[in-house]
Amino acid sequence: MSWKTACAAADVPAHSIKACEVDGVEILVANVGDGFRAYPPVCPHMEEYLEDSGICSNGVLTCTKHLWQWDMKTGEARPPAEKPLLLYEVKQEDGKVMVYLDKELEYAFDHDDDDDGDD
Amino acid sequence: MSARNHAQWTAAPKLKAGEWVDSRIYSDQAIFEEELQKIWKRSWIPVCHESELKNAYDFRTMTIAREPVIVVRGNDMKVRAFLNVCPHRGNMIERRPSGSFKRGTPSGTPKHMTCMFHAWQFDMKGRCAYISRCEEGYQKRLRKEDVGLRKLNCEVYFGGFVWVCLDDDIDMTVEQWAAGALDVLSPSLNAEPLEIFHYHKAIIPCNYKLWHDTNCEFYHDYLHYHNRITGFNDAYFARKNSGFKNGHINVGSFEVQYDQYEGFESREALSFPHLPPNHWYMIDMFPGVNFNLRGSALRCDLMTPLAADKVMIEFRGLGLASDTPQQRRTRIDHHNSIWGPFGRNLHEDLLAVTAQGACMHQAAENRRILHGRHENQTIHDENGMRHYYEEWGRWLNRLPSDPDRAFADGAGGRAAVARDAERELALEEA
Repeated sequence: MSWKTACAAADVPAHSIKACEVDGVEILVANVGDGFRAYPPVCPHMEEYLEDSGICSNGVLTCTKHLWQWDMKTGEARPPAEKPLLLYEVKQEDGKVMVYLDKELEYAFDHDDDDDGDD
Repeated sequence: MSARNHAQWTAAPKLKAGEWVDSRIYSDQAIFEEELQKIWKRSWIPVCHESELKNAYDFRTMTIAREPVIVVRGNDMKVRAFLNVCPHRGNMIERRPSGSFKRGTPSGTPKHMTCMFHAWQFDMKGRCAYISRCEEGYQKRLRKEDVGLRKLNCEVYFGGFVWVCLDDDIDMTVEQWAAGALDVLSPSLNAEPLEIFHYHKAIIPCNYKLWHDTNCEFYHDYLHYHNRITGFNDAYFARKNSGFKNGHINVGSFEVQYDQYEGFESREALSFPHLPPNHWYMIDMFPGVNFNLRGSALRCDLMTPLAADKVMIEFRGLGLASDTPQQRRTRIDHHNSIWGPFGRNLHEDLLAVTAQGACMHQAAENRRILHGRHENQTIHDENGMRHYYEEWGRWLNRLPSDPDRAFADGAGGRAAVARDAERELALEEA
């Protein structure tokens, strides 16, 4: 894998987020005012698509489902969030947002297909 | 005798016990409530077909005996059933008739059922996955592990039908419940996956048992004009009604001469696997289910009793999942030409029971309803209904001809009898 184009920089206005698909991998691109960030597309709490549920305000991304919050620049969790956002490496080139895709970043969820014998 | 006066009209018929019933069993709301508790909440009910929930996270909702039920398919593709009731404040969790939990709802996240009231969330195994502001409100006194959904007995059986039973203590599988009644069609329905192609429902102002009765006898051929003028032969009348344990019956088959029906064609090419071409089997299951395979198209009626004088009937039509588009179109034509709104007989059956309902409403005087035909157990015999009402009487411990009297055997459903005995024993010991 290598550096891939996620979207045009102009497609993501300052202080907003946009979901993109890069080589079949869904990512969420954020414009943090003085640059871009890229995260997995879902909330690390319960898999909500942050493009649908997320609100950006004062450099903080909030998932409106259960009000988990993160610092958009660092991905750091703010209460009541219990997990940080994962970050892809990002750069800007020729008006494009480029993402370094080594492997897809995923959160560990407590899926119900686990073999817990609870049938 | 000429027309009768009131005393003559209301006198017991000159037939043996078990050959007639009191119409109160079709109109009395107290008896109806008892039926829900003692029969419908203790029976296996085929609430839908698995092809209605094809993908992981698909769901379907329904009620059994007024209890809201949800059937979901997990990410492991297993179908499970739960009460569709939130353990927090008893609200209905999912209101849609069907859909998918794959993407979130406005108040809930993907892959979960969410109660819209306070956003409690549950996974496809019925485990509570999220309580909003749990620790703030409950500190450590209540955890999500304590508040899972109410899981219901659920089996996918007989060509992919999803069977649910509200009674945890039912002492039999669906196969044991069917007691052999389904065997005539099992090879045809289990050979390859089936798929639903037709669904409609009708709310009919009559008691559910009146609909079941029409499915249990063919004496009402006289209602079906087109049936009478074409398509009858000796083999048609020679079919037999056979009774099975637990109140089920089935009707034997014969080769239908579809090409002799006006405007019809043979169904040989599309007849179900293992079914002799153009054959027709019917199964009536206690307390209100009908499976009807006419060569190329399967129909299933499920009754949901709503009141003593109101029943919802859901009609499903099914073919083979492997159908080509052309085969499917033909199969649907075959289905609709008999059971569609312009078909040969479904609307006539509905008219008949609606008119019965008009005569047996809650305020109507009791009638004597005759089930006394004996014709060597062939399709104009009424042994199928007699078999049903014997079971009905046992479960409710009421005599169908005189519902205030105990049924001769004094027995309810078998599991219930055992439980009642245990309860009495416990009381005696206490």
